[in-house]
Amino acid sequence: MNGNRKSVKGTKSSGAEPTNDARLRAARKRLAESKDQDDAIEGLREIVANFLGSEEMGLFRIDRRTSTFQAFWSFGIDLEEYDLLRALGDAGLQRVMRGECHVEFGTRERSGPTSKAQAFVPISVADQTIAILAILRLLPQKAAFDRSDMELFKLLSDEAATPLFGPAGHAKAGTEGPGMSA
Amino acid sequence: MSKKVLVVDDSKTALMMEREILEKRTSYQCVTAADGQEAVEKAAQEHPDLVLMDVVMPRMNGFEACKKMRQQASTREIPIVLVTTRSEESYMEAGFQSGCNDYITKPVNGAELVALLQSYLGE
Repeated sequence: MNGNRKSVKGTKSSGAEPTNDARLRAARKRLAESKDQDDAIEGLREIVANFLGSEEMGLFRIDRRTSTFQAFWSFGIDLEEYDLLRALGDAGLQRVMRGECHVEFGTRERSGPTSKAQAFVPISVADQTIAILAILRLLPQKAAFDRSDMELFKLLSDEAATPLFGPAGHAKAGTEGPGMSA
Repeated sequence: MSKKVLVVDDSKTALMMEREILEKRTSYQCVTAADGQEAVEKAAQEHPDLVLMDVVMPRMNGFEACKKMRQQASTREIPIVLVTTRSEESYMEAGFQSGCNDYITKPVNGAELVALLQSYLGE
């Protein structure tokens, strides 16, 4: 038997592409195979924690009639305390409403005490932003968001709406699915 | 005969990715378990060449499962790599005290993971 010999921490840029392909396929499959809204939310949490390296996130629905955000779900943060609009800022809000991710990549060294990295991912249906996923503090071993994370943000933006808010999820939640109304 | 890796995680997403990496980038056979209890049982049944295991899991966590495997004659010699989001020194120490051979943190880098497994199992 090999003895206890080492630990491998964090990520390096080498090998990022194969890792990214694998996580994109896994994320797509996980979302597509969600049984209901609860399972889709759990899948989203797992994707953010396992692939993006954060255990602090919140999901906000957009009510276009009243132009307001409604806190929908969170993990690791208190939504009562969290001010999405303040965190996003005007420019960030405009970007996200246009369907673009707003990402602050962060510059922290690995294992540093704090991180300024945060990402706001529009959850979209037919090019319309119906919700925003806010991803906050990164785990200590993840230094910052990187280029490959953008592809995963894009996948979430394009493919998370149906499992999260589509017919299956809404049958359970008892609410109307986005894009389903006339 | 291809080497067998037992991948253990309560996250379906993590299992999917680790299986993807192993199946696409190695010749290892992959079997899975969803918690520590199932891992201990499957390790005894399947006789894997290596166990890749999450730490925070329901029913039985990775540390406990690691200790159990080290207590059983049939699984005592199997290399165990713990994979977790927890990077605190105390967690790592607990991991090595439970008998693991290596401890890596999520997000997992595929190339590093493959290189680590190959260091135990060969190509």
